[in-house]
Formats: sequence, structure tokens, C-alpha cells
Amino acid sequence: MPPAATTNLGYTPPDGGWGWAVVFGAFISIGFSYAFPKSLTIYFKEIQMYFSVSYSEIAWVSSIMLSAMYAGGPVSSILVNRYGCRTVVIIGGLMVGASMVAASFGTTIIHLYLLVGVIGGFGLSFNLQPSLTIIGKYFQVKRPVANGLAMAGSPVFLSTLAPLNQFLFDNFGWRGAFMILGAIVMNCCVAGALMRPVNMKTVQKHPVTASKGTTAKKAGSTENNANPEAGDLLTETEQKQKIGGCADKLMDLSLFKHRGFIIYLIGNVVMFFGFFAPVVFLPSYAKGIGIDNYQAAFLLSIFAFVDMFARPGTGLIANIKWIRPRIQYFFSFSVAYNGVCHLLCPFLAVYLGYAGLVVYAVFFGVAFGMVCALLFEVLMDLVGAQRFSSAVGLVTILECGPVLLGPPISGFLVDVFDDYKYMYWACGAMMLAPGIFLFIMNYFNYKQLDQEVRERQSGAIGMQSVKQSVAEKAEARKKEMKMTKDEEMAEGTKGFINGLLLMFII
Amino acid sequence: MLAGKRRAEIMSVSAFIGVLMLQLVSSQNEPSINSSDHIMLPTDHHSLPITLQCNLTSAHSAHKESFWMKNGEEIQETRGERANTEYYLKKPRGEDSGEYMCVYTFDQAPSANATIEIKAVPDIIGHKRSDNKNEGQKALLYCKSTGYPYPIWTWRKLDNGFYMDINNSSGRFFINNKDNYTELSIINLDIDSDPGEYQCNATNMIGTSSIVSVLRVRSYLAWLWPLLGVLAEVVILVVIIVVYEKRKKPDDIQDDDEPAGPMKTNSTNNHKDKNLRQRNTN
Repeated sequence: MPPAATTNLGYTPPDGGWGWAVVFGAFISIGFSYAFPKSLTIYFKEIQMYFSVSYSEIAWVSSIMLSAMYAGGPVSSILVNRYGCRTVVIIGGLMVGASMVAASFGTTIIHLYLLVGVIGGFGLSFNLQPSLTIIGKYFQVKRPVANGLAMAGSPVFLSTLAPLNQFLFDNFGWRGAFMILGAIVMNCCVAGALMRPVNMKTVQKHPVTASKGTTAKKAGSTENNANPEAGDLLTETEQKQKIGGCADKLMDLSLFKHRGFIIYLIGNVVMFFGFFAPVVFLPSYAKGIGIDNYQAAFLLSIFAFVDMFARPGTGLIANIKWIRPRIQYFFSFSVAYNGVCHLLCPFLAVYLGYAGLVVYAVFFGVAFGMVCALLFEVLMDLVGAQRFSSAVGLVTILECGPVLLGPPISGFLVDVFDDYKYMYWACGAMMLAPGIFLFIMNYFNYKQLDQEVRERQSGAIGMQSVKQSVAEKAEARKKEMKMTKDEEMAEGTKGFINGLLLMFII
Repeated sequence: MLAGKRRAEIMSVSAFIGVLMLQLVSSQNEPSINSSDHIMLPTDHHSLPITLQCNLTSAHSAHKESFWMKNGEEIQETRGERANTEYYLKKPRGEDSGEYMCVYTFDQAPSANATIEIKAVPDIIGHKRSDNKNEGQKALLYCKSTGYPYPIWTWRKLDNGFYMDINNSSGRFFINNKDNYTELSIINLDIDSDPGEYQCNATNMIGTSSIVSVLRVRSYLAWLWPLLGVLAEVVILVVIIVVYEKRKKPDDIQDDDEPAGPMKTNSTNNHKDKNLRQRNTN
């Protein structure tokens, strides 16, 4: 059974071959994007003393970097749509590298805000968007696996960068370490070099419909039936512009009318309020119930380790033929599962102590990995790979707010009640509610989509006969063309196959 | 004249008796306290519980209350009204050493006290295990100890297997000692002579203790070679990937879109006499 929303890419993605090298490049890019801002916190104490600023002022560096990374989403989408994935990733890598090298010469905290925060953050967003987009260009059948593997970059890089940063700091001081980190981050350019545009000459092409999205209303579909020439089949030149590479029209704001996109957006914005705070506060919670520093830190290591394997694992599970068509349900389940974990956490901590928290860390690691692995896969599934670039830009800038406000609000809850369990319950509720919301809304969405498929099936048969007459007319118009009977048959069959393929794509 | 001489004699004798009597009276009035002996804590830190005792045996008047002081500061919750007062230490450790005083206060007279000393060997409880600084910066090494009497601190540097006193000919070393705390600051770090192991030594009449801190000095341009190394690696990888791609490209081109040109011809050599219609491919 075909997936709920198709790619309307215009070609069959390779689903392998060089695609795995592209996944490795995306692994590196995504790893740096998510892990880099978090790993910089190791230098904060020293920099704080050096510049004589308070802890909240130095924490702004990380916040600015994260917010620039999310806010840069639309900018990144526009650039990707215009220049293609590879160029943007390489520029992003150069930006972050140059900003880190320049920051090592900084003399005030403002220099760090601007260089590391703003420019570095934008550079990372130029890495994040294209990496996600290009996976959609290279994979269709095995896309969840590819997404899961690429997203696994985040925990792997975080667990590598943290000790590496400590080593660099001990041996080179923070200025020297920034220099060397700038060079290390330029490995993103290597990742960009791997992101070759899809070789259009070797893939199997088929005509593309005008991308009116998958939620064309009844009026629209009848319109298409009436004007097959103008509406559906693009001319040869338009096809060549649309397919191949990552280029697309500049920013697709019509996404806001896309039903699936709106559902995804609402669910995610609420979910992100409670997504990161439990991770941030886990060691503090452990220390609060009397566990010592090393064991509390070990909880985070367990969490990261489980996360590392949960992501590709989820990708594999999402790929099996029973789940792939209904992947939205799988995503809603994983969000709700997160919520349940947080709701049970205080009980585990109180009744089982450290062992309870270890159990929680394991289950939470699985839940976190599941959500992260599916996060962008379901968006691709909803809007299709062609519009994914614009979609992910819009989604990240709108998620910017919850991602940044979540931990401080949770911290405020902890301060007000002087107990972590209320915060965990609040986070659990903030994840369980969107999970259930997504589940219900997607049920309706799937019903609607199935109905549209049925309508198009009945419309396509009518379209098919119309198309054959169009093809015949075109042939009649051509001068000096005498066709043998064989070639007439061949033309007719081609038209029939095109019609069938159209039916399956939509 | 005889009356004056005799008067002087009488006056000196009475003054002498007066002083004697004053001393007798005052010694009768001064309170006396029986206190326990001075204690020395064992060096292995496993000491049996200690009880410090003070007994007010005689006083000119009833005392108001009694309390204990350590090193000049009152110990909380030791105030009471007993003449026989005790201070109990369950597990005495190095930090419990010091000068203890039991104090008795009186309404109309100054308070009386007795001193008991608990002595211990100095035990270094805080120090910086290692410090990494860039050349030209200032380094600070410190040591904190417990123990009484307060130790005498000395700093030494490891040189050819022996700890030698620090050579301050360059005038960059400053030592600051205060009771149980010592600080060694080195300004304008020199990468050739300053790195190494530094030992702080605490000595008092009971014993001595020392601990080592390591100082490392980073070169100003230490980061240069790693930076160049990583940049070179990035450039090489990018070049390899791009060259591999350019070399593969000619193999992949397949011309299935364009007209085949030489493959189709208009020649009718093979089927001249057959009745085949052939499309003109010009």
C-alpha cells in the first residue's frame, strides 16, 4: 500500500548506493548541529571567570546559538531551494569554523554572543536543514532507516564532544580550544562534499504533477480533471527545473493550508515545551533525592547510550511494511510514551531510589530516541520530499519558542514548588496531551486522505482516456511524422503506464 | 627624732603585713579550677572519645554560668550552670584540635577560665592537584590544613629527584601564610623553568605533613599545529571526495533522451525490395 503522502519528486529515489554516503554526511552535520551548543558548556566556568560575568550571562551564549539555529530555518530553506543542499552545507561549515576561530580572539562577552551565538548558530542551521532535506531526495522506501541513522548523530557526537572538549580545555585553554574546535567543525564541509545532488541521468523519471499538495480539495481535483494539459502535466522544461538536486521554489507558504502540516505543527509546538526539560534536570533531581554526583552524571550517560541505539532501531521498525503506511500513529504513540515515562518518573524515584531512576533513564532514552528519529520522517511523510525543505524551515522557527522557553519554565516550576516531581508531571502532561491529539487528528487525516485517493482513482480512469486523446492530438499535430503501427502501439502503452503511475503517486 | 624613726618602722611593718594580708585575702577570693591535662591526638586519626573536664573547686561567690570556647570563639550549646562542666568529643579528628577554654562567669567579678590544649599533627585537607596556565599568566597554588599548633609552611619544587627550596632570584614567587592556609603565587609564568611539581610542607611541634601539586604551563601557540593538522585533514577529504566524483561522472552519462543520431539512418539497403515504410529521421 503506498504511503499516505507521496514524494511527487518526479523520479524514483535511488534508495541506496551513494545514498548511504549521503546518510553518513547527514550524520556528521546533524551531530554537530545538535551536540555543539550543548558541549560548549564545558568552557563556561573558565570564560565566566575570565570575563567576570555572571552565570546567566554566559549561559546566553548557548541560548543564542540554539535560537539562531532554529530561527535560521526559513533562511536556510530559502537558500537550499535556490542553491541546493551541498553549497549551503559547505557555507554553513565555513561559517561556524570561521566564527569559532574569530571568537578565540574575542575580548568581551559581546564578541562571543555575536560570533559563537549568532554566526555560529546560523552556520549550524545551514547544516541541519539541508541534511534532512537531502535524505528525502535520496530515499523513499528505506527513508525511515536513513532518517533514524542520520539522527543518531546527535547522541554519538554529544558523547564524543564532551570529553574531547574537556581534553582540549586542559591542554590548550579556552582560546586554543576554540581555535581547534573551529577546525574540527569544518568537517561539516566534508559532510557537504558528500551530499552530491542526485544524478538525474541514472534515475528513473516520471512526469511530475503540479505540486498542489496532497490535500487538494474536491473542487481542485475536478479542476484538474477538466484541464489535464494546463494543470497536471508540466512542460518538459518545467519538469527539468523541478526535479533533481534540492532546488525548488523559494518558500512554500501554502504549507499553512496543508491539513497534515497544521496538525503536526500544533502537536509539536506543545510537545517541545516538555521535551528537553526532563533531560536538563535529571542530574539535579537525582542529587536532590540524595544520589552523589558521579552516579547522577552516569544517569545521563545511560540515557545517551540508549538514545544512540534507539534512533536507528526506531528507523528500522518504522520501515516495516505494517507500520510505514501508518507512521503517524507510531509517532503519536512515541510522544505519548514519553509523557507516560515522565508521569511515572517521580513514583520510580520515590519507591525504588537510584534503581528506579536508572530504569527511568533507560525507558526515557528509548522514548527520546523514538521521537527524535521520527520527528522529521513524519514531516517528510506528510508534505512530501519536494516541499520538505520549506516545511522544515517553518517548523523549526516556530519550535524555537518552546525549545528555548521549556527549560526555564520548568526551572520556575521547580523553584515555586521546591520539588522536581511537579515539573515531571507537568512535562508528562505536556507530552501526553499532544500525543493523544496527534493520534486522534491523524486518524481523521488518514480517513480524509484515503477518501481522496479513492476519488482520484475514479477520476484518473476518466483522466486516462482524456490523456490518450490528448496524446493522439499531439501526434496528429506533428508534421512529416508517419508512424508505423508498432510505434503507435508503443505511444499508446506509454500513455497508459503514465496514467497508472499518476494514480499511485497521488 | 626618736618618734619619727619608730613611726617609719611601724609603718613599713604594717605595710608589709598589709600586703601579705592582701595577698592572702585575694588568693582566698580567686576561684580555682581543676582541669584535665593537655591531650595529643594520635597521628593515625583513630582516637578514642575524649572528655574535657573542668571543676570549679573554690570561689568567692556562686558562679552565674559556665561555657566552653575553642580558639577564642564560644562553642554553641555549651552554656550551663554546673560547677563541674564537661565537653565530650565522640570521634576526635584533626580539625578538633585547638586551644579549648572552660569559662565561668560571675555577677560582680571577672570571669575565670582554664585552658586545655588538644594538639594534633598537621593534616593537609585542601590543595589544587594540578593547574594548567598559559605562559605569561599568573598561577596560584594553595594548601589548607587542620591541626594545632598552627604549622610553619614551606614550599619546595621537585628538581632532579629532590625537593629543593624555591629559587626566587627572578622575584616572581610570592608566598602568603596565614594560620592553617598558605598560598604560592607565581607571576609571569615562564615555560622553561616553572612547570613541575611543587610541594607544600606543614610542620609543627607534633609532626609534619606535605602534599604535591603539579603546575603545567602551556605554550602561547600550542594550538597551532593541531589546528593546521585538522584543517589539512578537512581539505584532503574534500579534495578526495570531489575528485572521485568528477572521475566517476563520465561513466554515468547515458544518452537515452537525445535522438540516437548515427544509429538510425535513412538507408534502405536492407529492405529495399520489401514494402516497409520508414520514418524520416532527419
